[in-house]
Amino acid sequence: MVGYLVFLTISTALFALFALGLNLQWGFTGLINFGHVAFMTVGAYTTVLLSSQGVPLVIAVIIGAAIASLLGLAIGMSTLRLREDYLAIITIGVSELLRLIALNEEWLTKGAFGVQRYPLPLAGFEPNLIGKIIMIGLLTFIAIFTVWQLWRGMRNRWREGKSIKGKSIQPRKRIGLIIWSVIALALILTVYVNGVIAISNYYNYKVGLMLIVLLVLTAIYWGLELLVHSPWGRVLKSIREDEEIPRALGKNVFWYKLQALMLGGAIAGIAGAFYAWQLTSVYPANFEPLVTFNAWTIVVLGGAGNNAGTLLGAVIFWAYDVLTREYLPYLGILNPTQLGPLRIMVIGLILMLLMVWRPQGILGKKEELTLGR
Amino acid sequence: MDPQLLFNGIAVGSVLALAAIGLTLTYGILRLSNFAHGDFMTLGAYLTWLFNTGISIRMGYRVIDIDGVNIWLAMFLGAGGTVIAMLIAEFLLWKPMRDRRATSTTLIIISIGLALFIRSGILLIWGGSNQSYDLPLVQALDIGGVRIAYYRLIVIGLAILAMIALHFLLQKSKIGKAMRAVADNIDLARISGINVERVVIWTWIITGILTAVAGGMYGLITTVRPNMGWFLILPLFASVILGGIGNPYGAIAGALIIGVAQESSVQFLNSEYKLGVALLIMAIVLFVRPQGLFKGTA
Repeated sequence: MVGYLVFLTISTALFALFALGLNLQWGFTGLINFGHVAFMTVGAYTTVLLSSQGVPLVIAVIIGAAIASLLGLAIGMSTLRLREDYLAIITIGVSELLRLIALNEEWLTKGAFGVQRYPLPLAGFEPNLIGKIIMIGLLTFIAIFTVWQLWRGMRNRWREGKSIKGKSIQPRKRIGLIIWSVIALALILTVYVNGVIAISNYYNYKVGLMLIVLLVLTAIYWGLELLVHSPWGRVLKSIREDEEIPRALGKNVFWYKLQALMLGGAIAGIAGAFYAWQLTSVYPANFEPLVTFNAWTIVVLGGAGNNAGTLLGAVIFWAYDVLTREYLPYLGILNPTQLGPLRIMVIGLILMLLMVWRPQGILGKKEELTLGR
Repeated sequence: MDPQLLFNGIAVGSVLALAAIGLTLTYGILRLSNFAHGDFMTLGAYLTWLFNTGISIRMGYRVIDIDGVNIWLAMFLGAGGTVIAMLIAEFLLWKPMRDRRATSTTLIIISIGLALFIRSGILLIWGGSNQSYDLPLVQALDIGGVRIAYYRLIVIGLAILAMIALHFLLQKSKIGKAMRAVADNIDLARISGINVERVVIWTWIITGILTAVAGGMYGLITTVRPNMGWFLILPLFASVILGGIGNPYGAIAGALIIGVAQESSVQFLNSEYKLGVALLIMAIVLFVRPQGLFKGTA
């Protein structure tokens, strides 16, 4: 059970990281990136192949993220000046092409046989008592930070509810806010307690990976929060709403879009490194287009243009994934080979229903998003 | 150029052309870049296969066997089924969203959700294995060293027939003229008394027929499998953009160029990278002439 929760924590955190990159591109800047998995492929393969050649892991990850953002530069240079749907088409094409390259260029990627036995972070590390205490300390720090963020977000919504009373926009229900806070707190507590138990009693490679991915996620989340609340982030949002206005104010819209695409790509590249470390062997089949659309579901569900929403979306997505994987077979209506397609069908349906009925997702602000013209 | 590859390229290009006409019509008239278009093609191919090979329905103890029909009739019935599916999507998704004046990005995301839904629905019902039609075997012709596969020849002939019919429909019939008017300027068309909603329905009917026939024909020259259409989405969009969005004649020319380029690339490229050829052509077009070779409407 502890090990399974550790696995789930890593999966959720790395998909949250991956989707945060997409949220910067689509949620904040309005770029339709349907090939987000391309950045992940580049990040994963670069990290794995370089570190197998003896390059230190941290440097390999940084190079992977840099190459992923260069990919964003190449895609952006050819499409970002044009209509928004061209980006969607080109990114789908690039992500499929990269997967085909990974499948066919066996001298580089070993093709369908996949890459195995590459260096993993903290692989041979056996923490002593002091090491364990430091690790628990770091985990505690992350937990406190998360609770603080949660408290801040909830307080803002509470105030918002007070200030807009009597206007046409309805505030969130107070009771709902409290229930959500309690659920979120329970979730944080579960992950924290499980992490502490795992570190102190059942330490293995995955536990170390969990701590690293949570640290990186916290750092990137915090960095993104600072960025999107800065003037730079406000320009991105204005591009999403109507790019003529920032252009009229003298902003170089193309350059801002390019920055968002590259930065989002670099984040996805880092997520790719963690993906590879969690899988411990990478195959081209791990980078199907479906991975991109899982991230889309996460972002749209949580609320476009809201980083906390993306985290929430990742949690809900993995809960859905685990529950349907575990309990659907017991219903006995479908045979095992039909379960996979059914789960993807539901994802497609969720994506459609959300865009039709609740395009702002769970936490997005409807007032802020121009969803129709 | 190797005539064999040229012939293969024209056959693939004909399939692409039929599907690309549908895509460019919905793109130009409805302002919808439909990412589910390839999967509607797959649906057309599967329905054709279903009518061609027959169905056996199990009801309690009794098994009802419905025999398959000849491939051409099956393709016709498959086209009908695809049109119905497209009209369902129109009334449940596209019309309500148009009435709400949703942005094109919203529509794109809905279309990708629909694509996932259709593709995994096909996987759910018919499984992931390759299927093939129930066809008599025909010896390939040999003309001057070029192997002319009978069904490829049929595909090219059928595509030419469909294009001529479309040409007369667009140029001579009332509904075709109305479609061109709506594509050109929807508000002007509306105040000149054109019933835009009727034009939209007819656009979907024509698109559905062409797309399903394209899917059925693609099944003739390859095999019927769940992601056959999804892998064509890039060449399709490349053809549409190359020919100018909204221009059906441009889409035909673009599709033939892409088809021939893809097939002749196997001389010097791994055949797995055909997709890369379409991507490269599209990237070049976007750099050099983003409005396409011919005049588009959108």
